[in-house]
Amino acid sequence: MTSKVYIALRVKAAPARAFEAFTAEIGQWWRPNPLFQTTPRDPGLLAFEPGAGGRLIETLKNGKVFEIGRIRAWEPPERLVFSYRQANFPLDLHTEVEVRFEAVGEETRVSVEHRGFDRVPADSVARHRFPDEVLLMRLADWWRAHLASLKEVA
Amino acid sequence: MSAAPAEIDRTLAALADPQRRRVVDLLAERPRAAGELARALELPAPTMSRHLKTLRESGLVAESHPAFDARVRIYALRPEPMVHLLRWLEEAERLWSEQLAAFKAHVERGA
Repeated sequence: MTSKVYIALRVKAAPARAFEAFTAEIGQWWRPNPLFQTTPRDPGLLAFEPGAGGRLIETLKNGKVFEIGRIRAWEPPERLVFSYRQANFPLDLHTEVEVRFEAVGEETRVSVEHRGFDRVPADSVARHRFPDEVLLMRLADWWRAHLASLKEVA
Repeated sequence: MSAAPAEIDRTLAALADPQRRRVVDLLAERPRAAGELARALELPAPTMSRHLKTLRESGLVAESHPAFDARVRIYALRPEPMVHLLRWLEEAERLWSEQLAAFKAHVERGA
């Protein structure tokens, strides 16, 4: 009964290149998101420590290192699984991200499945950090983007 | 406390309609009467009633009556766990959409 998020798109690159860019270069493409920030501080730089058991870390501007998660599967160029936890998540909430890279002709279909969200307690710290009204007003935008991305994948 | 998939499906189905999303937007500002919602969306009362019924069944909104008049129905968003979970999922999906778009731009710029 896991609630999950699933997003996919195609990139013009081979799977090995896509895997490398996703992991080794995450600091170059990851965009800090104010509503989904990993720590309450200024966003820092993300980096994977390659290989199973390695960490996904964020180095904050003050030099501190925050561990977002640990790599559970490191199978280049096809699959990557890591645990994911933000500082504002309730203590009992552990989510997991699975990234798959599938060759489609000369391109790669990259899919992200983020699962484990069914354990968000109603009165969690996380809930109170989220401005409900702002989120609600974004529903329409989100649906438009969601349907557009489904169309793109189909 | 976790939401059953069927409940989430019902919530998602309720939100799939642009007019019902608009109702949710309006109720996010403050509770409103059914008539006020119908006027805001320029919909006939029976149509608005049907939308409100769907939203009520999805658990997104609740109906109440003001103390002074039992005939007036006031609608408000329900802060249920399911709704919160749904919002989490929405935000997570939005985040990943943005991240993957940025990732795609990065990979293709370097290609």
